[in-house]
Amino acid sequence: MRNSNQPIFNRRNLFGATAAGLAASSLAACATSGSDDEVDDVTVGDDAENPFDVDGSAPLDVVIFDGGFGNEYAVAHQEIYNRAFPDAVITHLATQAIAETQQPRFAEGKPADVLDNSGAQQIPMDSLVSDGELAELTPLLDAPSYDDPEVTVRDTLREGVLTSGTFNGEVYALNYVFSAWTVWYDAKLFRDQGWTPPTTWEEMVALCPQIVEAGIAPWTYAGQHPVYLYDLLLILAGKHGGVDVLKNIDHLEPDAWRHESVVKAAEALAALYTEGYILEGTPGIDHIQSQTAFNERKAAFIPCGSWLPNEQASIAPADFEYMPMGVPPFDGSVQPGLISAGGDEPFVVPKNATNLSGAYEYLRIMLSKEGAQIFGDTVQAATIVKGVELDNPAAQATDALVSNPDDLFQPQFRFWYTKMNEEVRPALGSLLSGESTAAEFIDRMQTVADETAADDTIEKFHHED
Amino acid sequence: MKHGRYPFILSFLALPVGLYAWLVILPFAQAFQISLTDWSGSSNSFDYIGFDNYVNLFKDERFVLPALRHTGIILVVLPVVTIALGLFFAFMLNLGGRSRQGRIEGVRGSKFHKVVYFFPQVLSVAIVGILWKQVYAPEGFGGLITGALGAVGLPAPVNGFLADKRFVLAAVIGVLVWSAVGFYLVFFSSAMASIPRDIYEAAIIDGAGRFQMFFKITLPLLWDSVQTAWIYLSIVALDVFVLVYMMTPEQGGPDTASEVVGGVIWKYAFKHGEQAFASAIGVVLFFAALSLAVVSLRFGRREQIEF
Repeated sequence: MRNSNQPIFNRRNLFGATAAGLAASSLAACATSGSDDEVDDVTVGDDAENPFDVDGSAPLDVVIFDGGFGNEYAVAHQEIYNRAFPDAVITHLATQAIAETQQPRFAEGKPADVLDNSGAQQIPMDSLVSDGELAELTPLLDAPSYDDPEVTVRDTLREGVLTSGTFNGEVYALNYVFSAWTVWYDAKLFRDQGWTPPTTWEEMVALCPQIVEAGIAPWTYAGQHPVYLYDLLLILAGKHGGVDVLKNIDHLEPDAWRHESVVKAAEALAALYTEGYILEGTPGIDHIQSQTAFNERKAAFIPCGSWLPNEQASIAPADFEYMPMGVPPFDGSVQPGLISAGGDEPFVVPKNATNLSGAYEYLRIMLSKEGAQIFGDTVQAATIVKGVELDNPAAQATDALVSNPDDLFQPQFRFWYTKMNEEVRPALGSLLSGESTAAEFIDRMQTVADETAADDTIEKFHHED
Repeated sequence: MKHGRYPFILSFLALPVGLYAWLVILPFAQAFQISLTDWSGSSNSFDYIGFDNYVNLFKDERFVLPALRHTGIILVVLPVVTIALGLFFAFMLNLGGRSRQGRIEGVRGSKFHKVVYFFPQVLSVAIVGILWKQVYAPEGFGGLITGALGAVGLPAPVNGFLADKRFVLAAVIGVLVWSAVGFYLVFFSSAMASIPRDIYEAAIIDGAGRFQMFFKITLPLLWDSVQTAWIYLSIVALDVFVLVYMMTPEQGGPDTASEVVGGVIWKYAFKHGEQAFASAIGVVLFFAALSLAVVSLRFGRREQIEF
């Protein structure tokens, strides 16, 4: 069989094979090739009806995170867009796999026009921003609002809601949903037991023995996701020492974590464990299990976001009365009203979007009175637009907690520095499960903050004032 | 005829080889290329930074080094335990029973046992993960093992096995063994079936016990199968990711106590936006797997026995 003297590759088929190989490599090389196309910036024109000069026939590509809020509201927003531009074909993708489906499109230079970059598979905002992949949203904020050409879009928004999407003074994300972090209790349980909802941390601690006596654990939380403790700790510290304590932490100031208010807050949380005020097994359960335990009245307090009552509406017992009480402040707190509240669910416009002006217009529609009310009606959650009416008592009580704009603050280091995020979550987990002391926790966080500050390869961010 | 043979063969090979080159070899090559850059993964611009990623990789106390340690532990424990159990069960099911009228058989009900042991293999890994997450849960939240331990008055980790740094890795390895052992039982069984019975019968006449039969006859004659199983299991050990992702707190926690190399690659690529760094870890893993296969084939080579 092997007596043929013909080489395996003669000239002709070698040429063919090379051509096939080249074709394959050029197809596969898309991830590491491609050029930055020149992008035209969107400007605000004079036409209040169509300030971004949208091409009505251009298609629009919208990607929605299909999580707790679903995607019905987005379909309704797209109908409004089509009302103005009937010829525009809208591609609507609702998915939970944001990074999986959208990251390759960024890498190819062909991203969607509007992207709801949320959920567990969020593409890290800090890397999108430092890579220059996002369009700045000031033109949108300066444009006339959808409902009243005399009022700019910026003026239709609640106070402080742009902060979480602002990176070094430039707005790169529109965090559409307004939410607050608070401690929840069941008003019915408290009424039945004759307990007064505590207004300070000391009152809460004083109440705990009574709660234990009633056979109920005072606290539970999502132990497998210690991020649920992030705002509890920081706001407790911030209330005691004022918001600057938290800003210093965000700015990676030396010894920011060693501030007495932060130490006090860490000690207070650690004491919940050492006093036995946490539902047994809590560090080993996830958010669904902890919320179920709370619904079953096995625990009296749970820290969570303001979406909790809506999320639990069909699960909790019918007589369960979700009530927010904020984070109970220490006696002598400097800023007892402080609350972590602001925008969530970041909508971004990629810089290389094909229909950039259409994307801005779509966001303007989302921020219209009608657009925001659609969201409020479908998912019973507030948006960052002022004046959306919600009819459930928990939402109204939350609204009261966030009434003072000076007290709204979202601790940001977790979003600005991935490395800090990876440290604070396990550190909080250890702190509340008795594996580390408050002093060890503070040391650990100060160390990572110092390392982050010293690392020149990490882009630094800061609050505006 | 002879003249047209190679183009004819090549025309058949072109498609599979082309697809293989495009979908397997090129991405591998690209991972090498990417690992020398600072590419974030969500942009189409990057700079070449030489071997910085590889240098930093071995300085990463937070994720990479613990992950290498844990993957190393799994790499040793998983094949040893799985092969030992697989061999033991296969031997018992095929040859471990009482000999009846000079015939050697497995223990009573061995056919039934074989099917039962194979069950986990039929379940998808995701289901296995969800199932065992509940089995390992804290006592107050329906954990089977913690509940059973508590019922007989033994101490159990109060937060369940997966939230306890001391047990989480062992718990993951336990599930891996549980789900793999059935397959290797069947695998070794079929290899044992090809060993001629007269060898055993001769051994019995010579007065050999089960213990001697296993170590003097079965194991040497199964050496090839054991070696194959070893390589497969080593690759499984290097690939462990899904169970860690499904079961453990924060996909590798608590506090990196169950972090594995596959999971760290995923974390860096998709959660941290450091695709280039992730590629560098991938390249290291690639060479680790390659050298492992080469080494175990080289050192495991023994004389073949024909029967």
